[in-house]
Order: sequence, then structure tokens, then C-alpha cells
Amino acid sequence: MSTHYSELQLDALRELANIGSGTASTALSIMLGRSVDISVPTAEALPFADAVDAAGPAEQEITGIVLGIVGDMTGTVLLLVPPTDADAMCRMLGVEPSDELALSALGEIGNIIGTSYINALAAMTGMHIEPTPPATATDMLAAIVETVLAGQALSSDVALMLDSNLLVEGADCSISFLLVPDADGIEMVLARLGMS
Amino acid sequence: MSVSETMVRMGELAASSVSGHVLVSLGLGSCIGLALVDRRVCVAGLAHVVLPQSQGYAPENPRKFADLAVPELVLELEALGARRHRLEAVLVGGAAMFAVSSASLDVGQRNEVAVLELLKTMRIPVLAAATGGNRGRTIRVDVATTSVTVREAGGKNTELLAATRALEVV
Repeated sequence: MSTHYSELQLDALRELANIGSGTASTALSIMLGRSVDISVPTAEALPFADAVDAAGPAEQEITGIVLGIVGDMTGTVLLLVPPTDADAMCRMLGVEPSDELALSALGEIGNIIGTSYINALAAMTGMHIEPTPPATATDMLAAIVETVLAGQALSSDVALMLDSNLLVEGADCSISFLLVPDADGIEMVLARLGMS
Repeated sequence: MSVSETMVRMGELAASSVSGHVLVSLGLGSCIGLALVDRRVCVAGLAHVVLPQSQGYAPENPRKFADLAVPELVLELEALGARRHRLEAVLVGGAAMFAVSSASLDVGQRNEVAVLELLKTMRIPVLAAATGGNRGRTIRVDVATTSVTVREAGGKNTELLAATRALEVV
């Protein structure tokens, strides 16, 4: 299905995601005071409908934290956390999930992870990019993912999804991590990597 | 009669006159699930609209745009025996999932406005709607009865358009 990008290009993007999520996991680890493992990232260029399917069961309840990327490249970073895992991470920060501060705490987790990821991306590519403040929603997975994809649907039919998993040790909670650059953004990243 | 669900995913559309077919869009966020039905002949269609206007872009998939998807859905329904003057609409979706001021993430309302304007131009009445707000929704359209239901996360199926089986007997 990776119609628009060569395997070599996807490999380069995967490596970018690997370093980005490595930086993000370090940030999360410092924040939570636990070690955090990362899975080998996947990079897939998928038509929108397939991209939503690939994210998981459409009606599964999920917490999504979304950050925009602005600057030389535009795009979106989306963190997907099962609600029970989101609760667990709030407790690690000393915030009860029922507390009205919980959403804010989650947004902050997303902010720190997303920002460190974006900063790593900027450092590797020499691009000037920065994150916009996080927004959080807990709802059907497909509703969250499609809303994020709709943001780049005007100029593109294919979503590039760089997905890696952060696993918090000893707490059995995971964060799935999606970077969805717009079509021009991908070209720019590949050019900077000398892979266009 | 066996029931078979046809998934109408992001940027897709489907029309059917087959009894037993159910057209479904799971987890609509800012997208609009537009159901069009001809209750006289039990023909129904569903479009999963992503953006309001194509703005001159010529994408591989034109069906994601309201201005291109809605007329095409009408044509497909007419090909199955529906008549344009009998078509009626139900809208689901168009939510603002994230409370941010970014224009790119606030397409829900623009989608709804675009679809409503197109329907007005085509003189297709809107019988029911579950739109706006900040919740994701699933829409189901039962072709045999042209009933339309909506469901929010963690909720039950709620009927938006009642089954018309009784009319069929006449």
C-alpha cells in the first residue's frame, strides 16, 4: 500500500521516528520517574480510510492528545492512550483520574512527549518547527483519528503514519504515537534527509 | 434475510436497494455521514464526507469533498430507481472533537454548513440530524426499512429516522 514512497524513503522516516520517540521516551521517563521502553517504529503511507483502520478498532474508547506542528513544516502529532492507561499515568503524577486536573495533567504529558519529539525532528532535519498547545479528547478511536487526518485532507489522499509505542515499565501502560505530516511536509523532510 | 453491513469509510460513499444491507460509518468525528433515502422504493445511500469544498484541487479521491460527493451519491441513488424529488436526508457528525482554535481541526461545522447548502440547492429536505457538539458518532442506515440510527461512544443506538416498513404494505 506504500504507493507514494520507496522502501528506502520509508526506512529513513522510520529512523527519524525512532530517534524522535527515543527522545520522547526519555522525557516521559524523567516526568514519571520510571524507565520507558520504545517499540520499533512503523512507517506506513496509507490512503485515509486504511489509515483509520490501521489505528485500531473504530469504536474503541481512546484518549487522544493532539499537538499541531507549525513552522517550516506543518503537521500533527497524535498520542493515543487507552483510558485505563491514561488514569494510571495521572496517578503516577499524583493526580486522581476523577480530578478536574486530570485532563490538564494528560495534556502536559502529551505536551512534553510531543514537544521533545518535535524538537528531535527539528534538530535532525535543520527545520524550524514548533508545537502548538495540546488538546485532549476521550472518544471513539476512529472519530479522533479521522478528525486529525481531515486536517491534511485538502491536498492529500495519503496519510504518512509514523507509529511507535512507548511502554512504561512496571505499570503496564502504553502510548501509541502518530506523526502525521502534511504532504508538503513529508517532501521537505525527505529533501532534508537527502532522500527526495 | 441475512444482514450484511457495508462499511462506508472516510471519503467513501455507497448506495443500495438490497433488503438486508446496512450502510455504516463508524466513529464519525468532524466528518459528516450523510444518509439519503427514497422511502417509496426503499433505496438508501450514505456518504462519509471529509471536507466542505474541493477548492479546485483534483485529488485521487473526489468523494471526500461535500461538493463532489453529494451530487454523485444522488446520481447513484437515481441509478437504483430513486427519484430526486422523493429523496430525504439525515445528517450525523460534524463534531469539534478537540477544543482548539486551529482552523484545520474545526472542519466539522464547515462540513455541516456545506452539506446543508448543497441539499437546499437540490431541494432535498433534512428530516433529522445529530450534528455538532464534541462527541464521535456512528451512523447506521438500514436499506430495507430506510431507518437511520446514531450511536455515541459508550451509548445506545438511537433512532433518527423511523422504519417505513408499514408504508411498504400499501
